[in-house]
Amino acid sequence: MEKKNFDKPEYFVNRELSWLKFDDRVLSEARDKHLPLFERLKFTSITSSNLDEFYMVRVASLKDQVHAGYTKTDIAGLTAKEQLKQISLQTHELVRDQYEVLNKSLLPALEKAGMHLITGHENLTEKQAAFVDRYFEDSVYPVLTPMAMDSSRPFPLIRNKTLNIGALISKKDKKKGKEVLVFATVQVPSVLPRVVIIPSAKEGDTTVILLEQIIERNIDKLFLSYNVVCAHPYRIMRNADLTIDEDEAEDLLVEIKKQLKKRQWGEVIRLEVEKDIDERLLSVLTTEFSIKEEDLFSIDGPLDLTMLMKVYAQEGYDEYKEPKYTPAPVPAFQNDRNLFDVIREKDIFLHHPYMSFDPVVNFIRQSAKDPDVLAIKQTLYRVSGNSPIIAALAQAAENGKQVSVLVELKARFDEENNIVWAQMLEKAGCHVIYGLVGLKTHSKITLVVRREESGIRRYVHMATGNYNDSTAKLYTDCGIFTCDERIGEDATAVFNMLSGYSEPKHWNKLIVAPIWMKDRFLKLIAREAENARKGIPAAITAKMNSLCDPVIMAALYQASACGVTINLLVRGICCLKVGIPGVSENIHVRSIVGNFLEHSRIFYFQNGGSEEIYMGSADWMPRNLDRRVEIVFPVEDEDIKEELKHILDLEFRDNVKAHLLQPDGSYIKQDKRGKTLVNSQMEFCREATEQAEKIKKQPEHSRVFIPAEPMEMEEP
Amino acid sequence: MATTTFAAIDIGSYEVSMKIFELSKKSGFRELNDIRYKLELGSGAYMEGKLDPGMVDYLCEILLDFKRMMREFGAEEYRACATSVFRELMNPIIVQEQIFQRTGFRIEVLSNSEQHFLGYKSIAAIETGFKKMIQKGTAILDVGGGSLQVSLFDKDALVTTQHLKIGSMRIRERLRDLEKTTTHYDQLVAEFIRNDLTSFQRLYLKDRDIRNVILMGDFLTDTIFHEDMKDSIITKAEFTSRYENTVHKSVQQLSEEMEIDPEYANLVVPTMVICKSFLDIFNAESLWAPGMSLLDGIAYDFAEKKKYIKSVHNFENDILVASRNIAKRFSSGKGHIQGTTAIALAIFDSMKKIHGMGSRERLLLQIAVQLHDCGKYISMGDVSECSYQIIMSTEIIGLSTQERAIIANAVRYNNAEFRYSSEYGNDTTLDRDKYLIIAKLTAILRVANAMDRSHYQKIESIRTVLKDRELSLILDSSRDLSLELGLLKDKVDFFEEVFGIRLSLRRKKKM
Repeated sequence: MEKKNFDKPEYFVNRELSWLKFDDRVLSEARDKHLPLFERLKFTSITSSNLDEFYMVRVASLKDQVHAGYTKTDIAGLTAKEQLKQISLQTHELVRDQYEVLNKSLLPALEKAGMHLITGHENLTEKQAAFVDRYFEDSVYPVLTPMAMDSSRPFPLIRNKTLNIGALISKKDKKKGKEVLVFATVQVPSVLPRVVIIPSAKEGDTTVILLEQIIERNIDKLFLSYNVVCAHPYRIMRNADLTIDEDEAEDLLVEIKKQLKKRQWGEVIRLEVEKDIDERLLSVLTTEFSIKEEDLFSIDGPLDLTMLMKVYAQEGYDEYKEPKYTPAPVPAFQNDRNLFDVIREKDIFLHHPYMSFDPVVNFIRQSAKDPDVLAIKQTLYRVSGNSPIIAALAQAAENGKQVSVLVELKARFDEENNIVWAQMLEKAGCHVIYGLVGLKTHSKITLVVRREESGIRRYVHMATGNYNDSTAKLYTDCGIFTCDERIGEDATAVFNMLSGYSEPKHWNKLIVAPIWMKDRFLKLIAREAENARKGIPAAITAKMNSLCDPVIMAALYQASACGVTINLLVRGICCLKVGIPGVSENIHVRSIVGNFLEHSRIFYFQNGGSEEIYMGSADWMPRNLDRRVEIVFPVEDEDIKEELKHILDLEFRDNVKAHLLQPDGSYIKQDKRGKTLVNSQMEFCREATEQAEKIKKQPEHSRVFIPAEPMEMEEP
Repeated sequence: MATTTFAAIDIGSYEVSMKIFELSKKSGFRELNDIRYKLELGSGAYMEGKLDPGMVDYLCEILLDFKRMMREFGAEEYRACATSVFRELMNPIIVQEQIFQRTGFRIEVLSNSEQHFLGYKSIAAIETGFKKMIQKGTAILDVGGGSLQVSLFDKDALVTTQHLKIGSMRIRERLRDLEKTTTHYDQLVAEFIRNDLTSFQRLYLKDRDIRNVILMGDFLTDTIFHEDMKDSIITKAEFTSRYENTVHKSVQQLSEEMEIDPEYANLVVPTMVICKSFLDIFNAESLWAPGMSLLDGIAYDFAEKKKYIKSVHNFENDILVASRNIAKRFSSGKGHIQGTTAIALAIFDSMKKIHGMGSRERLLLQIAVQLHDCGKYISMGDVSECSYQIIMSTEIIGLSTQERAIIANAVRYNNAEFRYSSEYGNDTTLDRDKYLIIAKLTAILRVANAMDRSHYQKIESIRTVLKDRELSLILDSSRDLSLELGLLKDKVDFFEEVFGIRLSLRRKKKM
């Protein structure tokens, strides 16, 4: 087989543009009329918060590159400037679509459902107006800080991501013929709820108004000796992220560090204004923020749609919401047995959120109490507020267990949160490791060392998702409990490494990034290619959040060219193209965007019939493979392998929530006509519930009387 | 509980390492954790004889971490050993005490011979083929950071063991400034060690046929040969080809290729050159590198002492053979040694309850007997002092410096007048316990030696009877014992002074 070049720019999609497509798929859920109305509100809100994060991190980073004079192109051959240009085009389109859905579909439907969202204060009834004005005087006015700009007062500092109302005002005692306009601004206070419930005209309905509308209506009360010529809300996004994004290439990091001084701190990178904003006001804003056309968004509706989540959270309207799913108990633990005894019998598989996350919390809780447990070691990346895991770890330390916790301080947006945990754990007597220099610790692993009759035994939990009991109800993740000694040994080595000690001489089972993982994946892919070449059936099925590692993608192209069947489930960014003749004809990519956030990473290799399946914390992205501590582990228990194969199979049969990547780069949903509808997430819910029910219903045949165990007190 | 966890700690010249083992009678060893931290203690210690305070801080921090990790496996027992770094310090006791105060670890400084004996134990312990291997000429090569040890075996016994101060890190330090002046660093190293090597060859190797070379430690097996090791055997051809494409590479290159830390990578070339040079003088066909480290040896030793495992090889015999070889080198009379040994052991064994000494002291006694008149080789007139000096400066594999001092003193007082503790004054090298052992061994040695004063081995067999406060030695001899018995009086007095036991000698009644 001739050596072919698989890394040409035309074979790849820019990752930012691919990400925008993902946000568009989320928006398509909002468009989907088959979905309950309030769920659609939620998806709209998610597209907005997604986009905010995208700007703050990715667009900011590209701006940095432009400022640093970095001219290298990405895998798709685009410079930072070119990327920004296309991002601007597509983001504008996305925002337009967002508001079209909102205005044409969601708001009218809300009206019908009896939920009135008043977007303009002009539409208030007299009674409502009176209520609103009263509310303004009582609650809003005291916390407002209006600021004006004139020759003696410079343009005020507008804070990142805040919603503000800009106004042009003029002195009431103006001289004839000469009107001097002054710019004034007031921040919509973030301490007050954005969505305010006001009396409805009709009994049983709900009417809400946005806080900025209340302020706008009463704006003249802020500038008493002035005429308010116009007032409109606006919102800015700044390049204020102090950290350099870890996704960037190594040489860029060096470059940017050199240029740090030149970096424009707090530069405004996006301005959102109302569509019908006064031209003069807009001109003040664009000048002061030095915003160019491409970073200006004229919005046809209320700014910052994340507030829709608040509307979603309103009491009632259950018929417009998806019924809440309660995670089913894990069959293996549906008994009173000691967790360790259960794990000792057999590896145990967990599939969240279909199955409950409780066993994971209980694992730590029991370990904290168990007299034979010597040590608990865990990596924490993102933890929930008031996390029961943290509490259990602290309890364990107080009970005299050796507790070591790696708290990743670099988890984006969670830094402060994590410092608080870390300090609390330290106080309780835990040994806290604050991550590694230059590497984010993204792996999810817990090790419990227990002294048993036959000697030391290690219990390990490894997962694809964080130790976060709240997100475990929303993210689809897989985990495994095992006491396999080879994995236990590896787990000990992982924690040695994380504490700054030398890497082990060899790994028994685990594949660890950033040193060993990429090569290993490349070998696994190459093995399939080799098999295909020999005429042995060869297939790769992989599920992940994002795929953008150029080396891995080139290897996949190579494998596809050799005839390997490659099925990929990539929820988010996918820089790979399908259907390129001679390159990616055998690659099929789909993305599932559903009620739960697809989050697990599963990798299947056919391996000439002796199939290998891996799970882990890593996506096929450079940051995961090269700049993070990640763990991928083989699944060897035959039953669990079957379960994983079933998961992959069902997700590939999903024809309700799956979007299929087309050769032109677009994603489309399948034609469902004449087909049985398969919604994989719903199916998993049903299966998990059924399994749990089955066990619960099994009648007790035993006639042996069981003495009661002493009651155990739950920790607060 | 049938299992116990034990931590072995090694403070080496370029790394501090620990292994935690689970020991059980049923399944022997199980390694639970293997942890290493690169810390170049050696570079300062070799040049200045002192450790930088910062280094001590580091070391204490690591040891505290180790302590935590031990608790994670419930390991309470440990043995923490320091090797050449601490041996080269001017103030080891001060550093040891400081470490103890800060971490609670008692660091034991291993003598060179103890260190290599432990390493050697680790190999003998894991490999059943070892016994077969040492029937033929076998060399064990142990290249450390500070020094290297080479031991030769033949016909199931240790022939010699030599300590050369040309360890990988020491070489690198010594040649650091010259590194820049040459493009053939490997040749520089080769020339640097050549002198030591030829001396070794001339004095000890002679024309011995070395079939097997065993490479101790895990440095090469972890770095250069880690992927192409089959059955831990490296053939000479493999070695040579690896050598050729390694030695001219930069540290940077090596570190990248082998995925090891540059700190390790810069020890690769010196280590390779040393091994190559030895392979050349041995003319061996292959190298066996089982990848065992001192830590395994420490754990093996502990397990053996606590009877978790049974030794497959008689290590004490190695020590005895080694000391017999030393006696031979100094032309001590074989017959006299055998005769004296029999008497000394008979006395020792019959009074176990009284003297309270164990098997280790029994071994020391045997060695003391073997070496008790080696000083004659140098001066007939000053045997005791010469013997003392010879023993103090001759390495005996498996013995600590302290143990060697015990033997040397016992031998010295065999002839010279016993110096009581009050006479030691400020000499604090021997503590109270050691002092008592010296006294006890001296007492036995004197009696045993005196009974073969004529070196005729007149006593054919000996029986001992201990009754009340009297030990009767019933001698079987057809010869005239008047010389021996006549000269025995002061020895018997000293014996009584030490043990509170009166010796009486009787001839066995003839039938």
